[in-house]
Amino acid sequence: MQTAHGLNFESPSLIKRLKGMLGVDFYRLFHTPLFYIFLGIAAIIPALVSMGSAMGDAEETTSLFNNAWQIIAANEPLYVVNDIGEYANMNMVFIFGGIMISIFIGHDYKSGYVKQLFTTHSKKQDYMTSKTLLGAFSMACMCLTYLFGGVLSGAFTGLSFNVNAGSLICAILGKIIMSLGWASLYTFINIIFRAKFGISIALCFILGTGIPVIGAAALIGNTPALNVFLYGSSVYACLSANALAVFICLMNSAVWTTVYIVCGTIILSKRDVY
Amino acid sequence: MNAIEIRNLSKSFRGMYAVDKLNMTVPVGAIYGFIGENGSGKSTTEKLICGHLVADGGEIKLFGKSFTDAGVRVRVGALIENAGCFPNSSVWANLMMQAINLGLENRDEEIRRVLKIVRMEDSARIKFKSCSLGMKQRIGIAMALLGNPALLILDEPINGLDTDGMRIMREILVEVTQNLGCTVLISSHILGELEKIATHYGIIRQGRMIQELSAREMESRSRVFVSVKTKDMTGAEQALRNKFYNVKREGEYVCIYDVDDTEAIVEHLIKNGHIVSEVRKNKIGLEEYYIELMSKKEEL
Repeated sequence: MQTAHGLNFESPSLIKRLKGMLGVDFYRLFHTPLFYIFLGIAAIIPALVSMGSAMGDAEETTSLFNNAWQIIAANEPLYVVNDIGEYANMNMVFIFGGIMISIFIGHDYKSGYVKQLFTTHSKKQDYMTSKTLLGAFSMACMCLTYLFGGVLSGAFTGLSFNVNAGSLICAILGKIIMSLGWASLYTFINIIFRAKFGISIALCFILGTGIPVIGAAALIGNTPALNVFLYGSSVYACLSANALAVFICLMNSAVWTTVYIVCGTIILSKRDVY
Repeated sequence: MNAIEIRNLSKSFRGMYAVDKLNMTVPVGAIYGFIGENGSGKSTTEKLICGHLVADGGEIKLFGKSFTDAGVRVRVGALIENAGCFPNSSVWANLMMQAINLGLENRDEEIRRVLKIVRMEDSARIKFKSCSLGMKQRIGIAMALLGNPALLILDEPINGLDTDGMRIMREILVEVTQNLGCTVLISSHILGELEKIATHYGIIRQGRMIQELSAREMESRSRVFVSVKTKDMTGAEQALRNKFYNVKREGEYVCIYDVDDTEAIVEHLIKNGHIVSEVRKNKIGLEEYYIELMSKKEEL
């Protein structure tokens, strides 16, 4: 075994450093119940939404969902919503994803494990990148369990499954791609409010609901300009989506992820870790 | 080459300097005892070295390289305040996470090796939250030992430990420096324990390093004295003053400083008609030296 007497300091490459930090994050993700609980929540939400609407009178049921895929995405990109049926779709995964990421990062700080990470990783972007990728993976998985739950609940409530398959795939793909952008935002928020766990969760929840974008849309109307925001692009990935929508989601997600990782890295480098 | 070299390091919190132009030199292979009162800046300095805090100014070098060098930092192990483990995960899982973080190969073997060093081979499956304080501290050391660190930074690792726990910790630290060639920076209030293992000392006060010295220098500065007890203490004191230079009455004893020849003292007392009921040979150790140094600085 090599001893410290050798004093050989070989700088690990970015890939090696990221592999290490991602490895820890994924180990934690798969070895603790948090991830599985949120996967379960994502699967149950569509059932609750569709069952809830089906429990009303027949007219009301028709007004909320007349197609099973509306549980996954709205027919049109509606930034201003009139009822829960227009709002309740796969975008809700991003609300719960925010809470999950806040709990995950919060545990890093609460347990003190963050000290181990920052002692051995001097490059702060490792932390931002790793948490963003982990959050994106988690939310992508939650999108899939949501899809599964949506299909099952649609079948149970007897809704129609007629859809343009290409648009449906674009919508689902678009939302999964948006997971990356959302994850970077949530990681960034948790870096800013790292000592204030409650604020991080509350802010992630508020931003995840899309309330600021919905509010802006109420003022300026349903304009595609709102696609520059994460919620806007997430809404744009709807049942009338095409390849352009996927491209917009990809660009939006990539740009915001870069912005948040760079800003988060600067904050971590300029401020005390805890 | 020094393991740690700090020049003019400063860190303030809301305008108050916790570390104020601190200079520090830790030689490679040393067990460096970092001593100071509560709030003197020990933990802040250690956190700055580990990159947990951002310094206002100054320079930190580890093994001749900048402390932000990824290659150096991956070889630093730290136990700052607590072990930094997930309470609901097992000891093994916590160590596994750190082994993955460090990108170690043969992770199982590495974990078994460090568990053996900290004498916890049989406790790997216990949940971290179920461990005693002593066990938690040892797990913290095990975490820090993963990946063959060149530098260990330990913040008060023996605080709250019982006598046996302290002994085990002492043995572990001696083992890692002697067998693994690790440099250890250890802060502690328990100076008696520190004295048994440290090769170098750094004494910090109000964020400034007031003295750095090796254990040999410390030894040479340590004063020896003999304390005696007789029936007629005043008479004995007077008799001793006639022969010895530095004699003081300290409570129930008469102390003769800078002399360790007990036979000569006893013989002199008997010659002068005093019956000696108790004789003790003493040494002013680290604790007394530290107190004396602190009181001198207080006066300044």
